[in-house]
Amino acid sequence: MRTFAYARPARVEDAAAALSQPAARAMGGGTDLITQQHRGILAAESVVDLRGLGLDAIAAEGEGVRIGATVTLADLGRDEAVRERFAVLHQAASAAASPQLREMGTVAGNLCQQVRCWYFRHPDLTCWLRGGDTCYAQVGDHRKHGLEPGDCISVAPSDLAAALLALDATVDTSSRPQGIPLADLYRKASDENRSTLALAPGEFVTAVVVPRAPDASAYERAGERHAWSFALAGVAAARFGDQLRLAAIGVSNLPRLLDPADPLAGLPGLEQTAWKRRLLSGLAGQALARVSG
Amino acid sequence: MQVELEVNGNRYRVDAAAAEPLSALLRDRLQLTGTKVACGEGTCGSCTVLVDDRPVLSCLTLAAACDGASVRTVEAEGDLLDRLRRAFTEEDGFQCGFCTPGQLMSALALLERTPHPSPDEIVTAMSGNLCRCGAYEGIAVAVARAAEAPA
Amino acid sequence: MARLIKTEAVVEGRTEVRWTLVEEDSTPEWPADQPPGVVGEPTTRLTAGARLSGSARYTSDMQLPRQLEATVLRSPHANARLTSISLDAARAVPGVRAVIGPGDCPQFDGEAVLHDEPPYGGAAVAAIAAETREAADEAMAALDPQWEPLGFVVDLDQSLENQTFQDDPVEYERGDAETALAAAELTITSDYLAPAQLHNSMEPHCAVADWRPDGLTLWSSTQGIYQARSQLCGSFGLDQEHVRVICHFMGGGFGSKFGCGPEGVIAAELSRRAGRPVRLVLSRRDENLSTGYRTPARFSFTIGAGCDGRLQAVEASAVMGLGTGGWAYPVLEPVKSVYACEHQHLMTLPMRLNLGPAAAFRAPGVMEGTWAFEQALDELAEAAGLDPLELRRRNHTDVDPSTGRPYTSKRLLESYDLAAELAGWDARDELRSDGRVRRGMGCASQYWWGGGGPPAYADVRIGSDAKPVLTVGMQDLGTGVTTACAVVLAERLGIRPDQVTVRTGDTDLAGHGPFSGGSMTLASVAPAVRSAGHHVRTQLLELAADMFEIAASDLELTEGEVRSTDGTLRRPIHDVTEKLGNAWVTGSGSRAPNPDGMAVNTFGCQIAQVAVDTLTGLITVERVVAVHDIGRVVNPMGARSQVLGGILQGIGFALSEERVVDPTTGTVVNAGLEDYKIPTLADLPEVECRFVGEPDPELALGIKGLGEPPIIPTPGAIGNAVAHALGLRLREAPYTPRRVLEALQ
Repeated sequence: MRTFAYARPARVEDAAAALSQPAARAMGGGTDLITQQHRGILAAESVVDLRGLGLDAIAAEGEGVRIGATVTLADLGRDEAVRERFAVLHQAASAAASPQLREMGTVAGNLCQQVRCWYFRHPDLTCWLRGGDTCYAQVGDHRKHGLEPGDCISVAPSDLAAALLALDATVDTSSRPQGIPLADLYRKASDENRSTLALAPGEFVTAVVVPRAPDASAYERAGERHAWSFALAGVAAARFGDQLRLAAIGVSNLPRLLDPADPLAGLPGLEQTAWKRRLLSGLAGQALARVSG
Repeated sequence: MQVELEVNGNRYRVDAAAAEPLSALLRDRLQLTGTKVACGEGTCGSCTVLVDDRPVLSCLTLAAACDGASVRTVEAEGDLLDRLRRAFTEEDGFQCGFCTPGQLMSALALLERTPHPSPDEIVTAMSGNLCRCGAYEGIAVAVARAAEAPA
Repeated sequence: MARLIKTEAVVEGRTEVRWTLVEEDSTPEWPADQPPGVVGEPTTRLTAGARLSGSARYTSDMQLPRQLEATVLRSPHANARLTSISLDAARAVPGVRAVIGPGDCPQFDGEAVLHDEPPYGGAAVAAIAAETREAADEAMAALDPQWEPLGFVVDLDQSLENQTFQDDPVEYERGDAETALAAAELTITSDYLAPAQLHNSMEPHCAVADWRPDGLTLWSSTQGIYQARSQLCGSFGLDQEHVRVICHFMGGGFGSKFGCGPEGVIAAELSRRAGRPVRLVLSRRDENLSTGYRTPARFSFTIGAGCDGRLQAVEASAVMGLGTGGWAYPVLEPVKSVYACEHQHLMTLPMRLNLGPAAAFRAPGVMEGTWAFEQALDELAEAAGLDPLELRRRNHTDVDPSTGRPYTSKRLLESYDLAAELAGWDARDELRSDGRVRRGMGCASQYWWGGGGPPAYADVRIGSDAKPVLTVGMQDLGTGVTTACAVVLAERLGIRPDQVTVRTGDTDLAGHGPFSGGSMTLASVAPAVRSAGHHVRTQLLELAADMFEIAASDLELTEGEVRSTDGTLRRPIHDVTEKLGNAWVTGSGSRAPNPDGMAVNTFGCQIAQVAVDTLTGLITVERVVAVHDIGRVVNPMGARSQVLGGILQGIGFALSEERVVDPTTGTVVNAGLEDYKIPTLADLPEVECRFVGEPDPELALGIKGLGEPPIIPTPGAIGNAVAHALGLRLREAPYTPRRVLEALQ
């Protein structure tokens, strides 16, 4: 593993300044960053630990809740108010990764984690998303990949992103403290810019805000074994009065808002992923059933 | 960089590289080799230790981030840990023993937070510790038994 | 008196004839009607204290003074030629103490260790020993290897087309299968595809070498310390007396760690060059690329039977993907040996692929062959309109069908009956439903060898503290054989197993012993232990006879005491041993051969109950009933744990474990434990475990091995249960959500 410098600033401005240096990376729990560094996917020269910024509170805000960027998934999963009022968030936080990774991993880190594609994470291959020429998955083994064609067919991995998208959450960042819709945190990678995050250099997530509690919400996911598995697909549903919001991960590059009447719309499936259409349809139906009045 | 931390009640001041994982600090510098590294990338749970009472993966935890922290490893002492050790012995909750230090640390964290866990809570809390020998039944029963045993 | 005898042993399906040194043994067998004390009682592990306190030192924990860290450069290509490498640049990095490349390292078992034409992704090319990991990493970057990629084959069908074999094809014929098939009332044909299963022992392959002028010491995570020693002698031209191999604690092996491995040779060569101890621990990724796997295999069966379900003929082929090493594991043994069937024509084709070498993995060949054939049998049962268990009963055989030899013992029919009763087999159709979750139940038979045999030796000494020390020529990879040996000795000496100290895992300590594999260890070693213990017992009783003036024949050792048979004398054994002062009473024992002309096998039956979630595609194994005939059970606690472990690895094979090779680059894409999924605690089923066997009357102590048997029938039983649940059969394992949902489309 390459060596790097480590800093743990105490103020948001200091963190932003440190992160505006080239090859600097923000770190929450480090569970994704350090593994990428190990595998040579990242070559960060400095790591800026955001856990000294005091962004680790869960607090009621208006009719909703504000969740600090460095709240761990475990603490989010254990929060009684979240469990009662935002079931989908509790369920997604509790289902992600493994218990230890939930103790370490942070809310912002979970939202900003890289894709789990086995080509992206292959130490000996440099795929398109990593700046190379080839999406190895398209020509190779993409049994667990997405349902829509594109330059990259990897899938969004964050369970929390599905839940928060269904909850219509916003995200505060260091340079946009007024907040942006969660969907705007993400961007489709392009030939010019292979990042799937719409953050400026030095910018980092400081909090997630859910504006109001749904009348009902639920998270449905499928994994490859009974615990400790990234989601093959995950579907979050939230009902606000008679409005339904349905969001999915595991099926396309970015967390995706689905049409409750036609969850599969725009997701034709690829040669090896047609099975995921059946899965997505089933999970969506189940999630919707759980939130229906 | 200088890191000051407490490990199993003893204070240490160590000059650690920024990229050095806590597992390497424990094993190579402090000779606490009970903590095992089986995957080195956060997938197996063998290297689980408690940092400020949380079960974390020491292979992904930067030693530098543990400045001021209190760390506990399988070499720690304590009544609850002893109860777990007895229960793991009596329920045959291990075979080769390589994952066991991590199993014990996850179990300890669970029982400290939830002294009387339900069977589901045990399964959930222990599901991040892989055991290739397949001693899971003994592990689950041992954790339940240690929870029931008088302190 | 010692003598040399010629003996035959079956090791994982291969018959070996060898000369063996044995001692004449006058130890009486345990009488059938008298339970032998602690033997057969649940006993906790002797190693618990060390393993649960963190004080157990595994090979990867070794920290010798001035020890260096080693790293290995591995090829990123499926097949390539190394065109240049800067070994000197790496040597110039501060803190680097030795660098070796192709041509610099002795061979391992006649094979290159460092390759100039690495034939698979992950093949070792160069190695570095340095003061720190950081220095080693820096030197690794300085190597700057240049590659010329070569063509590669990672596809079984392609290798078959090319006819590139890694081992000789194996053809087996009895009777006239072609004619019998043509005449059969019922014929079915079916194909199955088994995945490559990766061992993933929690402790990776590792070695610590300390090369000194007076000899080499290697700490190795190995299932065979004596094999490791011979390999090192061969690689470096050393005498046995100058090589010591130590493995005190080991973090699993499951067949992947026979001998010292290439890592042992690399560590030793680096240590030789650096004049310092060297530790080499493989990364999880390197482990999964280079240290072996259960071979993927494509099975094709044509089965002919009568309308009554009686097998008449089988034609079968198995195409195995061996990669660049391993041998033709007995994948068609379940066809050949489990049932009565007169006409057979079997063909095994072990193909070479540009992948790491295959290795034995717990019941190599037989597990995956059982998975396939037991499902084909269920297909036959359906065609014949028979209950699957009834079909198996009808095809039962009382003699080994390939040799005609009688079995030393066989309780397979009993296993079927008990398993069926415990599982509720007769009501299995009531499990089925059309809802989201569909349940089913399936069975499979188990067949394996495991009678053990010579050579195996043990030494016992007891001193004034009355606590014996048992030294055995073996290593404990985590199975609990150490504890089982203590149980066997404790019975002879009338003490508790926890009063025994067992020393293993050191070639300098004890005479030769078996490697830990083939379910042979306990069956080989236990008789030697008992014999050694008996010699000590005899001497202690004679000493007691002198002390108490009672004839030795009227004394016994029991519950820590010397007792007279008439009950008048009860004194702690310690009262006798304390007179020894600093002297020891010692005894040695060796393993006698098995009977000639008989087949030694274990048998069993497992029944699995599954629930298939048709929405998520996830399968839950709800319950497994495991009934095995393994002869005498020495430690039921350890035995149950072995069964659970086998079942869990079988569940992994059936449901989630599969090495995935990228077809375009030929590299493995899931060499880590995130994407290669072994079972977790949440995947544990309820297990009902029973042993039906009486002590085998023909074998020493009546013991047969249990290491492999429990994994063998699990995947087949699950496959049959899934087919029962869904009414359709998945022909490729593992049965992942993807395959389940694809099948349901």
